[in-house]
Amino acid sequence: MDDFLILDGISKSFGKNKVLDNISLSVKKGEIFSFLGPSGCGKTTLLRICAGFEEPDSGRVILNGVDITKLSPNRRQVNTVFQNYALFPNLNVFENIAFGLRISGVKESEIKDEVHKFLELIQLTDHAAKRPDKLSGGQKQRVAIARALINKPNVLLLDEPLAALDLKLRQRMLVDLDNIHDEVGITFLYVTHDQSEAMSLSDNIAVINEGIVEQVGTPTQIYEAPRTSFVAAFIGDTNFFEGDVIEVDEPYSKLRIDGFTDVLVYNDKKIKNGDKVYISIRPEKFTLSIEKPDLSEKYNFVKGKVEEIIYLGYHTKYWVRVNEFLVETKRLHDRYMLDEKMITWGDEIWLSWHADYCYMLEQYNYEDEALLTLPDEEIMAELESEAAEEE
Amino acid sequence: MQSNRRRKNEVLLTLPSMGWLILFFVIPTILVIAMAFRNSDPYGGIGDQWTLDTIRDLRNPNYPSIIWRTLWLSVVSTIICIVTAIPASYYISRIRKKFQDIILLLIIVPFWINFLIRIFAWKVFLHPEGLFKQILVTLHIASPDALLLYRPEAVLVVIVYSYLPFALLPIYAAAEKFDFHLMEAAYDLGANRLQAFLRVYLPGIRMGLLTAIIVVFIPALGSYVIPDIVGGPSSEMIGNKIAQRTFIDRNLPHASALSALLTFAVILPAAIALTRKFFKEKNSASLGI
Amino acid sequence: MKKSRFPLYITIAILIFFYLPIIIVFAQSFNASRFGGAWKGFTLSWYWKLFSDKNIWHALTNTLIIAVSSTFVSVILGTLAAFALYKYKTKLQISHNILIYFPLVIPDILMGISLLLFFVSLNIGLGLVTIFLAHVTFSMSYVAMVVLGRFQDFDYSIMEAALDLGATWRTAVRKIMIPYLMPGIAAGGLLAFTLSLDDFVITFFVSGPDSTTLPLYIYSMMRHGSPSVINALSVLMVAFTFIIVFLSKKLLEAKE
Repeated sequence: MDDFLILDGISKSFGKNKVLDNISLSVKKGEIFSFLGPSGCGKTTLLRICAGFEEPDSGRVILNGVDITKLSPNRRQVNTVFQNYALFPNLNVFENIAFGLRISGVKESEIKDEVHKFLELIQLTDHAAKRPDKLSGGQKQRVAIARALINKPNVLLLDEPLAALDLKLRQRMLVDLDNIHDEVGITFLYVTHDQSEAMSLSDNIAVINEGIVEQVGTPTQIYEAPRTSFVAAFIGDTNFFEGDVIEVDEPYSKLRIDGFTDVLVYNDKKIKNGDKVYISIRPEKFTLSIEKPDLSEKYNFVKGKVEEIIYLGYHTKYWVRVNEFLVETKRLHDRYMLDEKMITWGDEIWLSWHADYCYMLEQYNYEDEALLTLPDEEIMAELESEAAEEE
Repeated sequence: MQSNRRRKNEVLLTLPSMGWLILFFVIPTILVIAMAFRNSDPYGGIGDQWTLDTIRDLRNPNYPSIIWRTLWLSVVSTIICIVTAIPASYYISRIRKKFQDIILLLIIVPFWINFLIRIFAWKVFLHPEGLFKQILVTLHIASPDALLLYRPEAVLVVIVYSYLPFALLPIYAAAEKFDFHLMEAAYDLGANRLQAFLRVYLPGIRMGLLTAIIVVFIPALGSYVIPDIVGGPSSEMIGNKIAQRTFIDRNLPHASALSALLTFAVILPAAIALTRKFFKEKNSASLGI
Repeated sequence: MKKSRFPLYITIAILIFFYLPIIIVFAQSFNASRFGGAWKGFTLSWYWKLFSDKNIWHALTNTLIIAVSSTFVSVILGTLAAFALYKYKTKLQISHNILIYFPLVIPDILMGISLLLFFVSLNIGLGLVTIFLAHVTFSMSYVAMVVLGRFQDFDYSIMEAALDLGATWRTAVRKIMIPYLMPGIAAGGLLAFTLSLDDFVITFFVSGPDSTTLPLYIYSMMRHGSPSVINALSVLMVAFTFIIVFLSKKLLEAKE
C-alpha cells in the first residue's frame, strides 16, 4: 500500500531508437517525485506513458494496485500539466478549469462552486472571464494546474511546468507549487531538466540518463552520495579523481592518485587493495588557505596554484592547478572584511578537505567529464547572461 | 496492432480528398494527354483509333507564331510584374505597419471584383470612342485612327494588371521578413546603394521572387479570357486556340494535343514550385492569397 | 543616406493603374453616352435595363446554387485533407500534398478542357452537376491550404489535454479542435465561395445549355449586349462584394 504508483520494467522504442530501457520505479502516496535528466533522456516519454499518451513496448504501470498500462488517457485518474500549458484557446479561464467536470457530467451549481474554489486557490478569481491569450505566462501556468487538480486525480503529472517562465517567476512558482501540494496532498510526478527545481521541490528524485535510471533517492542522497559519475556531474559541480586503493579500512580508506596526493576517502563500498576507484569531490567542500592549516589526520591537503578566478557575488570560484589536475573550488564571502589578504591569480595556496567529502562512485563513465564546467565556459556563460539581462 | 489502426485511420481520412482529386483531376489530365493520340470524328466527337496525326497537325503553319506569342507575352508580362513589384514591395515593407495594411488592402480590393468585369473595364478604358483615347488624341500622343484595343500590347497590359498583385504579395511578404540592418551592414562595409540592393537585398527576398515568378508565369501561359476580350485575331494565345478547337471546330483531339503541349510547358515551373514547397523553407505567402 | 523616392512613385503608379479602369466603369454606368467619349448626362436607365432582364436572375440563381453547394462539399473535403496532412507525416501524405497543390498552380483552361473531356468520355450530360463537380475540384485545394495554415499553429497537446481531462476523442474534436479551426474553415469557405462566384474559364468548358452562371452570362453580354448594362452590373457586383467582405469582417470581430 505504501507504493502508490509503480512503474515495472518499462521499455519503449521509437523505431530503432530505444528511449526507455527497463525502467522500474515506485512512487509513494502524497509525495513529490521528480524525473530529472537532460533533454532527450526519456523522462517526458515516461511521463506520457503514465498519462496514457504512449503505450510501453513492455512493462506495466500500476496505480493504486490496478494495472492501467492499457487504459486510455481519458479513463485514468491521472491528470497532466503540460509544458506549454495546452490551455484551450477557445475557452475562457473559467471554462478551461471547468472542462473536466463538464465532461464527467457534474451538476452546474457544483461546477460553479468548485471552479471558484480553485480560482481562489490560484488567485485568479478576477480573471475568470479572460481568454488564455490574455494571461501572462505565470497565470497560464496556474490555470493549467487548477484545470488538472479540479478533477481530484490520484496523481498529478507535471511536464517541465516552469520551463517557459523567466527566472524570477520560476522561483515564485516553485513556492506556489509547493503550497498547492501541501493544500491538496495529491501525489505529484514532476519532470524537469533543472536540478535546482527538482532539488528544492522533491521528496524523491529519479535521475534518468539515456533511458536508464541512474539513481533514485532524496535530494540530499543524490547530491552528497551520487551513485554514478553522471549523477555527480549532472547535479551540481564536482571534481573527479581516479585512484588506486592502497589501504582498506572502515570508515576511511586510502587512495593513491598519481600526480595529486594520497587521499583519505570515506569507504562505504566493498573494495580491496589494488582496486581502481573513482571519487567525486564537490567544489564547496574544499577549504582554501595561504598557510598550511593545522588540522586532524582525517583531513587531506594538497598545494596548488590559482589559475582562474570567477567572482559571482555570493561566492567566488577558483580553479587551482595541481600538476595536470585543475581543481574547481568554491568559496563563500563571509570573511570579506576579515581576510587579511585576498587570494589572487598565481597565488600558491593550500586546499584542505575532510575525508568524508570524498565520495566513491559505483560507476564511472569518461563521457560524463564533458558535463564538468571549465573556467572559460563559465566565463562565456556569465557574459551571455549579462548580455541577456541588459536586453 | 496500434500502428495498423493508425494506418487505417489515416487512409480513411485521406481517401475523400485524394479519391476526389484522382477521379476529377489526375484521370482527366491523363485523359487529355491520351486524347492527343486519337483521331477526330466528323461529328465533333472522339474517334476510336490511335494516331499520331493529331500531334503532326501541330506543325500547322499558324501554330508556331501562336506558341511564340504565348511565350513572349508570358515572359514579358512576368518581367514587368517582377520589376515593378520589387520597388513597390520594398516601399510598402519600409513604411509604418498601419500604412502597410492600408496599401495592401488597396492592392487587394480591386481583385474582389469579378475577373471578367476587370478585363471588361479595360475594354471600356481602351475603347476607340473612350475617354482615354480622346485624351491621347487631344494631347497629340495618338492619332485619331490609332487602335489601342485588339493588339498584343493591350493583352500584355491586361495580363500585367491581372497578375501584378500575385507578384506583389509574395515579394512583399519576403521583404517584410527581410532584416534591413543587413543593408546598413552592406553600406558600412563600403557597398553603394546599387551594390547593396543587388548583392544583399535581392538574395534576401529570393524565395518571394521565385514564388512571384511562378504565380504570374503559369497563369499567363494559360491565358484565355484576356486575349479573347481585349486582343483581336492577331493577338491569339494557345488558350484561345484550345477554346476554338473545342467549341467552334468541335475537334476535341486537336484541343487535347494543344492542351498536352501547354501542360508540358507548365510542368517545369510547377515542378520548381513543388520542390520548393516540399524541400525548402516554408513561405507563408507561397501563393499570395 | 538620402532615401530614394523611386519606390514611392512606383507604388503610387501601381495604385493608379489598379483603380483607373474601375473608376471609368463606375462613371460610365451613369453616363447616358454609350462609350463615354463625352459626358452626355446622368442616367439610371442602364440599371433599369439590367433589372428588367429576366435571364440575369436565372443566371444568378444558378451561380448561387453552385457556389453554396460546392463550398459546402469543398469545405468538408478540404478540412479532412488538411487534418490528414497535419496529423500524419507519411509518404502517402507527401503524394496527397502534391496532389492538393497541383490544382492551385495549373492554368484554369487546362482544368477546364480535361474535365470536359472526362465528362464527354463518360457520357455525363453537361450542366449544373458537372459545374458543381468542377468547382469542388478547384476550391477544395484552396480550403485545404487555408485550413492547413490554421493547423500550423495548432498545439496538438491541447487535444491530449482534453483526453487527459476525461474527454473522448470525439468530444475533443467537437469541443476543442473544430472551434479552434473555425476561423480557418470560415476563411476557406469564404474563399471557395468567391472563387466559385468568380470562375469563368472552367465553368465555360463544363457548362451545358441550361446552366448559364452569372460570369457566363456577363461574357455573353460582353460579346452581344450593351456595354453600359455591364457597367451597371459591375457596379452592383462590386457593391455586393464590399457588403459581403464588410459583413464577414464584422462577424469575425463580433466573435472575438
